[in-house]
Amino acid sequence: MSSRETAMDLAVRRPGRSPSAGRRSLVFALGCVGVLALGVVLTRTVENPYIFFAGYVVIQYVAVATGWNVLGGYAGYINFGPTAFYGVGVYTAAFLVKAMGAPLPVSIAAAGAAGALLGLAMGWMTLRVQGVYFAIATIALVVMAETVVHNIDYLGGASGLALMPPQAPAWAGGQPQFMLMVMLAIAVAFVAAARWIEISAMGRALRALKASEVAAECAGVPTFRLKLIACAISGAMLAIAGAPYVYYASFIEPGTAFSLALSLNAIAMPLIGGKRSWVGPVLGALLLATVQQAASVTISSELNILVVGVVLIAFVAVAPDGIVGIVEKLTGRRGA
Amino acid sequence: MAATRREFGTLVAAAGAAVAMPAVWRSAHGQGAPIRIGTTISKTGALSATKSTLTGLELWRDDVNKAGGLLGRPVELVTYDDQSAVAQIPSLFSKLVDIDKVDVLVSPYGAGLSAPLMPFIKQRDLFTIGMFALAGNDATRHDKFFHSAPWGPDSKINWARGFFDVAKQNGCSRIAVLSADVEFAKTAAGGAEQIAAEYGMTVVYKQSYPPATNDFSSILRNIKAQTPDAVFVCSYPPDSTALVRGLSEVGIGDSVKLFGGAMVGTQYASLLTSLGPALNGIVSFALYAPEPTMANTEMTAFLSRYEKVAAEQGLDPLGFYIPPFAYVAGQLIAAAVTGAGSLDKAAMAKVLHETEVKTIAGPARFNAIGDWTERRVLMVQFRDIKGKDVEQFRQPGRQVILDPPSLRSGELVAPLAKARSS
Repeated sequence: MSSRETAMDLAVRRPGRSPSAGRRSLVFALGCVGVLALGVVLTRTVENPYIFFAGYVVIQYVAVATGWNVLGGYAGYINFGPTAFYGVGVYTAAFLVKAMGAPLPVSIAAAGAAGALLGLAMGWMTLRVQGVYFAIATIALVVMAETVVHNIDYLGGASGLALMPPQAPAWAGGQPQFMLMVMLAIAVAFVAAARWIEISAMGRALRALKASEVAAECAGVPTFRLKLIACAISGAMLAIAGAPYVYYASFIEPGTAFSLALSLNAIAMPLIGGKRSWVGPVLGALLLATVQQAASVTISSELNILVVGVVLIAFVAVAPDGIVGIVEKLTGRRGA
Repeated sequence: MAATRREFGTLVAAAGAAVAMPAVWRSAHGQGAPIRIGTTISKTGALSATKSTLTGLELWRDDVNKAGGLLGRPVELVTYDDQSAVAQIPSLFSKLVDIDKVDVLVSPYGAGLSAPLMPFIKQRDLFTIGMFALAGNDATRHDKFFHSAPWGPDSKINWARGFFDVAKQNGCSRIAVLSADVEFAKTAAGGAEQIAAEYGMTVVYKQSYPPATNDFSSILRNIKAQTPDAVFVCSYPPDSTALVRGLSEVGIGDSVKLFGGAMVGTQYASLLTSLGPALNGIVSFALYAPEPTMANTEMTAFLSRYEKVAAEQGLDPLGFYIPPFAYVAGQLIAAAVTGAGSLDKAAMAKVLHETEVKTIAGPARFNAIGDWTERRVLMVQFRDIKGKDVEQFRQPGRQVILDPPSLRSGELVAPLAKARSS
């Protein structure tokens, strides 16, 4: 967001109701269907399972980055603990698989509910503080969640938990293909939800809140309630992104579910792509996760985190609005 | 235009050659192409200290290629860095199998990283050698999986049984169990309690602590107050260091005869040289110690070659723990391939199930799920350590083997206070 724009400018701008908005929404919907269709075609034509394993990781990051951006990008509340929600999603699914061999849709729904509840709880306790204090509180949430898991023997504790999740349905063509399609559907749904938030009244209110919380409050925006909703949505998305991991890896352990690298990526991807629009996290995730996947089997993966760090610093210093900001600057236009 | 009979014959011959050529080429290529061994190495991340696995495998590859390869084909290693991350394992092993088309797999280091691999190798029916995956195949029970480390059968409970055997021989009946709140340590502590119960010992103190703990003074005082005969400790390198230092500062009381057991880190030169004499009296596990009872020219030759590479690459200078068993992994593959006379996975597994394999770590026989039939985890007591020179750890008498009885090189010096002051 440009500093030239005021909270009120943003609050009154209503891109969702502009004459071209309907056309843009149609194109977006067709794009979503096209992406899903492409996924189906790929799972039917490509034989090499590696593509699906690697593709799953890349698309998972699209979902995670999009989920993080609802609170971190739209509301401007930097959450340093996205893995707390992701991990809760992973372990909710693991619990259900172990307890009752739950099918994937049940695990996803339960993980979403657990993530939303955790988001509400975190928001309730921490949203009265801002800036760095909020960020520290989110880090503490990861430590707490990981410690809780360490001490629950039923979930494998620190040792981790090996599970045999239900097999993929026969029509899917195999477990890796099925997992890719599931994650693709989740990512597309998240991106569609993020776009809806962006162009809705809620998005406008979030932008006003981000620009100046006091001004937004004075303009009648119910800031605390809005932040709570953003926390719950973001938490639910991150937890849902974690739920299929149990079915993907068949083994979970706290170190992976609450991994620092995943947190770093979840934050870096929207920053690199651009936090203001739904396009940013998608671009950032596709770019960074693909580079990381390629780097891990080509050049030394020691460079992985270095690549993330260097690219992040470069974008923060040179292009704080990310790739989307650069493109908008070059084409001379702005908008949702 | 109609073709003459000669033209038709030429055409048929050319078409036949065109159809047959790929198969001929593939066959010829297959015969001369390298046998590919695929694995991931934790070059970065929390397990990066285990990257000497690659050196062990490379030394084996060089030896086997110098001797003409396997089945007349050279051996090639295909490795990726798994970053010590479980999440990397499914995609990297799919890359190894589906794109790199490796013939044999070696698991990543440890049970945690190997766990996501197990369903994959079972589904694909792949021949795999396990690297330090304690009880890694107990749940999956894949019949083409073999451990390179001699944990022995039912290793989740039994791998540290030697500690309790020594405790029993020395009349210990009151046991304290202290463990880090992490994977390996909790597993070891769980097994310890079962064995203690089996031996009629009483667990008088049981405590786990968060992995980041670096001050053990209050825990050690608590243990001291319970007057145990033996303290079974399951710790990771940073806490092993803090515990040994705490022991020097706070002490543990005169009742304790045996202290240690499952202290990870005491197998590596970096920790041994940083702690030096503070290690005296402590008992911990090892897979190799330079004691006369383990004297083995092949192992000695391997370690002297490894030391040169380690010095160049900045690896663990001793290399007693991981590198020899990476070499053993290679020896198991070689035995399976040459015994089967092919890369047929079922035939390779049959060879290892039915025959004893001579390795640099001693003869290996396997049970149905690829455990060594004989547990060969050592319990060693550190003695006579002076200063922090690494060379002393290559000498006999510094890591005296207390268990197993077949490799014993000395008796326990007890109580601990006496062993530490001697």
